[in-house]
Amino acid sequence: MKLQLRFFATFREAVGSKTIEREYGEGATVGDVLAALEDEFDGLEGNLLEDGGLKPQINVLKNGREVLHIDGVDTDLTDGDTLSVFPPVAGGR
Amino acid sequence: MSLSLDATQLDRYSRHIIMDEVGPEGQEKLLNGRALVIGAGGLGAPVIQYLAAAGVGTLGIVDDDVVERSNLQRQVIHADADVGVPKVESAAAFVERLNPDVTVETYETRLGPENVGSLLEGYDIVVDASDNFPTRYLVNDAARLAGVPVVHGAIYKFEGQATTLVPGGPCYRCLFPEAPEPGTVPDCATTGVLGVLPGTVGCVQATEAVKLLLGEGEVLEGRLLFYDAMDMSFETVPYRRNPDCPVCGENPIDSIEGIEYAGGCAVEAE
Repeated sequence: MKLQLRFFATFREAVGSKTIEREYGEGATVGDVLAALEDEFDGLEGNLLEDGGLKPQINVLKNGREVLHIDGVDTDLTDGDTLSVFPPVAGGR
Repeated sequence: MSLSLDATQLDRYSRHIIMDEVGPEGQEKLLNGRALVIGAGGLGAPVIQYLAAAGVGTLGIVDDDVVERSNLQRQVIHADADVGVPKVESAAAFVERLNPDVTVETYETRLGPENVGSLLEGYDIVVDASDNFPTRYLVNDAARLAGVPVVHGAIYKFEGQATTLVPGGPCYRCLFPEAPEPGTVPDCATTGVLGVLPGTVGCVQATEAVKLLLGEGEVLEGRLLFYDAMDMSFETVPYRRNPDCPVCGENPIDSIEGIEYAGGCAVEAE
């Protein structure tokens, strides 16, 4: 299945792009995708997953809905889904 | 309700008063409104500018910095002659020139766990225009405990985020339970920031603040607004209360005592 992956703020720099497209095997979950992203991009390594769950510093949306309120890292994905990954930002000065 | 707008005020706020959504009653609410603005920098500048122009009667301004020349590319309430002057002083002088109806209460101090309670006291809303995670988590936690809404805005290079944290709705920790570790997210001084970016995001915050004081419109409750200046795109994504949230969930904290506002700013489970 093909997924659109979107990144914000510091994660954009780690990936080098705002949006990428990747192909995953059927049955891949949000956790599988995040683990694959950590493997692919050095700047994401250790920044997405922690102790088998989402890191508390990030927010992940599947088609605009927080995966935290679906099934977390076990959330199912289907062809054409969009996953958005964003960190908080603090700047203001 | 007896209206006390004088002739000068009827003139000054005529474009507000003529609209049904504001009217003389709404303008009175603004004049009686008390907003605390945390930070008089990039975001704080447009917030202070527009809230003062709108006639928000009392503006509290918290900042412990002085104006630097490198601020002037974006912090539009401070001028070249203000370099070296405390930002709260420069901000107060700006407001005084703009609107005599507004009383400015300046706090030349750094917001911390020890003074946040007394600073929040008496304010109807808080506008978080700060520049660091510990302050943002502290403002979220303390304001929620005090039942005060927070208008949140943050910027990064060409991107902005804004949301409004209203008691009863989700809080900042529902969205991001913990802050990134220090050093993992660079600040404006290191990364740079497009000068007009905080203007756009600060104006969104000022809009939310005015709506909260008027009690009109739909604020960004449970919605995070993303702004991308390069794409010139705005999008909002919904978010919900987290039942496990340590601040607004089912088993919430009753004080900020013991929370370390450093590093990840985590609320440790008891």
